[in-house]
Amino acid sequence: MNLRKSGLMEIFDPKAPPKPIGIDLGTTNSLVAVVKNERPLAIRDCDQVALVPSVVHYGDRGAVIVGRSAQRLAAEHPRETIVSVKRFMGRGADDPETKRLGPYAFAPPKAGEPNVVRFDVHGRAVTPVEVSAEILRALKRQAEDELRSVGGAVITVPAYFDDAQRQATKDAGRLAGLEVLRLLNEPTAAALAYGLEKKQNGKFAVYDLGGGTFDVTILVLDDGVFQVRSTGGDSALGGDDMDRALAEEIFAASGRESKSATPGEVRVVLDISRKVKHGLTDATVVDVESPFVSGKNIKITRERFDELVQPLLARTGTAVRRALKDAELKSEDLDGVILVGGVTRVPAVRAFVAKIFGREPLADIDPDEVVALGAAIQANLLAGQGNADDVLLLDVIPLSLGIEVGGGVVDRILPRNTTIPSSARSIYTTQEDHQTGFEIHVVQGEREIAADCRSLAKFTLSGIPPVVAGMARLEVTFRVDADGLLSVHAREERTGKEQTVSVKPSYGLDDDTVEQMLLDAIDHGEEDLAKRKLVEARVDAHRVIASTKKSMVADPELLEPREQAKIEAAILALESAVKESDANRITLRVDDLDGATKEFAGRRMNRAIAQAIAGKQLDVVEKTVEHAKGIENAHAHEGVRDESSRDVTSAARASQGSR
Amino acid sequence: MDPFELLGAQRRYDLDLAALEKTHRELSRALHPDQFAQSSASERRAALEKAAAVNEAWRTVRDPIKRAEALFRLEGFAVGETNEPKPSPAFLMEVLEEREALSEARAKKDLDKVRKLAADISVRADGVKQKLAATFEKQNGSRDRAAIERALPLLGELRFYRRFLDEVEAIEEEAFS
Repeated sequence: MNLRKSGLMEIFDPKAPPKPIGIDLGTTNSLVAVVKNERPLAIRDCDQVALVPSVVHYGDRGAVIVGRSAQRLAAEHPRETIVSVKRFMGRGADDPETKRLGPYAFAPPKAGEPNVVRFDVHGRAVTPVEVSAEILRALKRQAEDELRSVGGAVITVPAYFDDAQRQATKDAGRLAGLEVLRLLNEPTAAALAYGLEKKQNGKFAVYDLGGGTFDVTILVLDDGVFQVRSTGGDSALGGDDMDRALAEEIFAASGRESKSATPGEVRVVLDISRKVKHGLTDATVVDVESPFVSGKNIKITRERFDELVQPLLARTGTAVRRALKDAELKSEDLDGVILVGGVTRVPAVRAFVAKIFGREPLADIDPDEVVALGAAIQANLLAGQGNADDVLLLDVIPLSLGIEVGGGVVDRILPRNTTIPSSARSIYTTQEDHQTGFEIHVVQGEREIAADCRSLAKFTLSGIPPVVAGMARLEVTFRVDADGLLSVHAREERTGKEQTVSVKPSYGLDDDTVEQMLLDAIDHGEEDLAKRKLVEARVDAHRVIASTKKSMVADPELLEPREQAKIEAAILALESAVKESDANRITLRVDDLDGATKEFAGRRMNRAIAQAIAGKQLDVVEKTVEHAKGIENAHAHEGVRDESSRDVTSAARASQGSR
Repeated sequence: MDPFELLGAQRRYDLDLAALEKTHRELSRALHPDQFAQSSASERRAALEKAAAVNEAWRTVRDPIKRAEALFRLEGFAVGETNEPKPSPAFLMEVLEEREALSEARAKKDLDKVRKLAADISVRADGVKQKLAATFEKQNGSRDRAAIERALPLLGELRFYRRFLDEVEAIEEEAFS
């Protein structure tokens, strides 16, 4: 009997707001958590198990099975059962990941289709986004069983995920019918769970070794602000690689070549390997029967296993050293090291972490659950159900973002470990006479040559009047939002020609494709979707009205009388639209109200800046404030002129070829 | 936007970065999009834009090279390798010698020598930073434009020192793995 759910004191309130959830979408296991009575808790299924294996089985009649039941079908249906799908998220069809030891068949993209990995399942092409959406849907159902009504979700991603991998994760969330409140980096989520528990200030490292990804993050905790100083890692390194190393060992001991094994054999050996890895956490030697030679025992000692994983650990060590360097810290400056990820239970990993940081790591919160718990806390804050004034996460981009310039070289626009949200612009010019188009190639990575970096998007700004080389002025603006997602804006200054792309085309699925998948996924798709849109539009309208009224009460002196009348009229129009049932009309009225409050919002932000600076300066350098303000006022007009001289400078520095 | 003004800092090279880091944190607390998750789109956009601008300003001000570049620009001087005066032949000679010594030490796998060279370069970089601090210090309420113009080649020197130290890091990393 399920005692937990029979709690008589818990009375179901039909008017209670939907509960926001936190989801750890892991390589090996996923889980969902929620904040209850101010404490984050993992949501368990009817067997009291929180971890859902990230395994999706596609039945031959269209049924989809997720989790433990799917895991049991993996050996018998290796090609139709997708394990560790996270390793394929946001990757191109020809990515090296598709060529590693694994049982899958892949379908090449057809002409005109985005260049993404596709699993060939019963002759149907399935993308990693769709597979991940199945896992998310299962988690959402599990949460709904417990909470009745689920609100928005925070989904965690490895800190080292690049833009394409983040975008794919967000698409999967939308496809699963979730309102994605935020993508949150896994180490930051873990730090949040630890930090709020311990109420401690200081400098911390998070060593997060998961099934398929490795992250290391260095952050500073100061009165509720979690500021990430640097992050590093490897988005293709994890416990799976330990399993593969063990699998090769078992193949070799059985006198077999892994390359000639059938998909089913590969799956079986990988599963045995995982069990051996788990066994070696407590035992110093594990005996397994060879799946190929009946009666043949294979002995694997912890010593041998340690030897096999050393090269993998060495790779994590390189990332740790670089992250410390980027944070301008030494390991002895740290106040603690937090372990995250089930793989950190492996004794060799713990020993390695203790050695490289020179201290014993903290692991008092379950390393499998800590990320989801942090995500639940953040979801609660974003939904306005926690005390948002007390906590703030300041995260960074893990890899530099730039564009390709003349000679195939990368011009970095935003360097790695830049705090987000962030924006930066750079000016380029034509290299050839009468050039009428710029090709803009957006890349991510640390290498100097664009071809060695991850290609995120390519687009062309055309229709520029032909002028002499060096005369056209192209301004490229990069913006990274709080999810770590990039959008790029290009503008030719003389003609005013411009174009904006959110960086999806190269590897992602475009919005229309996601919408179509969403329709396909629901029975009576069109009808359901229309209903959902109306509900969402109304929720949004209520939120905007409440927030606008609150701002007007908070800062009435920033409003001009005519402006105030305009805003009030827009609120009335929106309120009457909400009473009808036309989602598009509500959206239009929301946009009107948005337009009416634009300048007011800008003035409020300026006041917030002035107050934050004044508050701080009174604390720290009371005496110099007046002095400093005097200087800035005197130079205010110069600031404008200097801005334009800066642009000319960068134009001369870099040039953009387009051939 | 003047990054110094945005952070409420004085327009000078020698700044209390620890205090400014706190100011940046307070500004983030006031402006970060998370604080506006429940607000209207216009406020979310305005906050996002300001938060990004504040982060960009802090990135400029905390970095010794970017901070110097910003100060020169604010005084009306163009910066960037093609705009600045060429470094002096004496400096170039010195640079050549240092680089040779570094590649020699690398070839011999002499890590102690590599570290010694790096320490020397760091001391010289600090010297350049002190000169920049003096250049942008006010004398009787105003700055000496001629002196600022004379200081422009210091930027090239700082960039050289940084590249040198980056190379040292790469060599150390190579030695570890």
